[in-house]
Amino acid sequence: MSARERLANARSGKLRPAARQSSENVALPIDNLELTADLMSVTPEKADSTTQVAGTAAHGRERLRLDDVSVFYGNTPAVKNVSLSISHGEVLALIGPSGCGKTTLLRTLNRLTELTPNASHSGQILLDGDEIDELVDTDLRSRISMVFQQPNPFPMSIFDNVGFALREQSRRRPRRPELEPLVNQALQRAGLYEEVRGDLGRSALRLSGGQQQRLCIARAIAQKPEILLMDEPCSALDPRSTAVIEDLIGQLSKDLTIVIVTHNLQQARRIADRVAFMYLGDLVEIGETEQIFTAPREQQTREYIAGVFG
Amino acid sequence: MLDRVRRPWSDHSAERLLGAVACLLAVGIILMIVFIVRGAWPTFSHEGLSWLGSGGSPDSQLGAMAYTSSKPPPSAFVVHAWPLIYGTILTAGFAVLFALAISLAASIFIVDFAPPLVRRTMKPIIRLLAAVPGVLYGLVGILVLVPLINKYLVTESEQQSVANVIQLTGGGLGITIVLVTLMITPIMTALITDALESVPRAWREGAIALGLNPLRATLAVSLRAIRPAIIAATGLAAARAIGEAIVVSMVSGGNSFAPNPADGKIFFFEPVETLGSEIVRVAEDLGAPAVHSTLYAFAALLLFSSFALSLSAYLVKLPLRRYQVSS
Repeated sequence: MSARERLANARSGKLRPAARQSSENVALPIDNLELTADLMSVTPEKADSTTQVAGTAAHGRERLRLDDVSVFYGNTPAVKNVSLSISHGEVLALIGPSGCGKTTLLRTLNRLTELTPNASHSGQILLDGDEIDELVDTDLRSRISMVFQQPNPFPMSIFDNVGFALREQSRRRPRRPELEPLVNQALQRAGLYEEVRGDLGRSALRLSGGQQQRLCIARAIAQKPEILLMDEPCSALDPRSTAVIEDLIGQLSKDLTIVIVTHNLQQARRIADRVAFMYLGDLVEIGETEQIFTAPREQQTREYIAGVFG
Repeated sequence: MLDRVRRPWSDHSAERLLGAVACLLAVGIILMIVFIVRGAWPTFSHEGLSWLGSGGSPDSQLGAMAYTSSKPPPSAFVVHAWPLIYGTILTAGFAVLFALAISLAASIFIVDFAPPLVRRTMKPIIRLLAAVPGVLYGLVGILVLVPLINKYLVTESEQQSVANVIQLTGGGLGITIVLVTLMITPIMTALITDALESVPRAWREGAIALGLNPLRATLAVSLRAIRPAIIAATGLAAARAIGEAIVVSMVSGGNSFAPNPADGKIFFFEPVETLGSEIVRVAEDLGAPAVHSTLYAFAALLLFSSFALSLSAYLVKLPLRRYQVSS
């Protein structure tokens, strides 16, 4: 049994009581069904796919390359001289204590730091070999999409939320029948379709927190980005919703590259192919998930994993 | 005794006190309506609704009323107020349109694009502008702007061309619209700015992260989200524009003429009178019962229009609330 399978099993075992317990709660019956079904069907498959790649250094071709990247707020560096590369179809988790620069680094990848008045970065970030500063920012952001820590559905219907980028990005405003298949597909990929089908006109703000976050994922993947950035996507969610989204990340990584910031070490261990540990702006160590967790090379990594600080 | 007063109020008595204040307000409004309708009754009973129509000049009709006896015959109540109603719609309509465009642009700039220093200075300035007494605008208008318009914008030949109907003095529709716009824009801007600032930053940021440029993100998400507030602000501003009297009477040209768009450029220099400004202008003749009743009828129309405005703003907002959390 691989470490990955062990973890997967441990998780499903750990979570079952929670699921059973909450099945008495009739408020969210669909969530419960969804979760138990997902855990049974998805977990073994995921364990398979991840054990395959555990040993290999890269999944596919290199998509994103960071060369000596530093990010500054004014003169204060928030990220210092980070170099790493991200390959097609992998899940890279950025871990580290608060204020270590992991979210800043993530927001630099789609140039969202530009919204912060005095933020700047040095070094090179290449998307498929192109310097991202030379791409048109709106094009870059439709290729590198993002999901935020707090679910942020727009105050519109579910349909309008998912179709939002598709509508806004096209020169000629597409009509509803043209959007419908794309919206449905995005909702299906985000695992939300079954729960909301038949009433896509409902306000997105009336969904539960977990559903809202999956809606945001659907919205982010509707325009078929190449890379998905996730900034602690589960930190505002309950354990059941978290498990659903973690499974979803496994599904999505089949044809998407995912960079996820997480505060939750066990989550990184469950979902990531590789893990990067950052501390006070430095990239301390990056490696295969199992190596980071079982045989970290750096003293700081070992202490952080063991819970000495953070 | 003092002890009794100092003792904290129970929720129950506080509730009753607040309820009494609210009831008092409602009673006040009802009394005002009764008072106005009663005052306007002779006009309604003698003229029906035909006084809303057109025919002749309200100025001369009201002028004639001033000389009727204290027990005027029904024929003394004849008035055709259409030029005033038309003037009110014209000035308020243009002013609200301009003010809406200006305040939307200004709010978007202040909230989403201005550097922090500019934002911090603009906001109090706009609030200050909203608090400027309207009559100051009227004073600047009549002392500075009207003479300037008369000197530089209205030509001799234009004055000659209409000399046998009206006098072009510089005061008129154009300057009235400009001043009313100036008066209602600050409060609209303040209201829309507040609404825009209350839009969660995460919405706009989310839209930008989906590949929209910042302006599109503001328009597609933030502005869309505050549509109810925009409608409410517009309704409020429209009610103020309709009822504005003093400033309009100062710069409108003092003639209840109905400006004709077919006149081209002169259209904006033609004199105009609104319901409110006509009330101000004729108020000195209130001693005559016919004038008294007619002005109350104008007041009733203004009151009814502002009720209709707030009701329609409310109805327009209803379907927009559908996607809010608390509906």
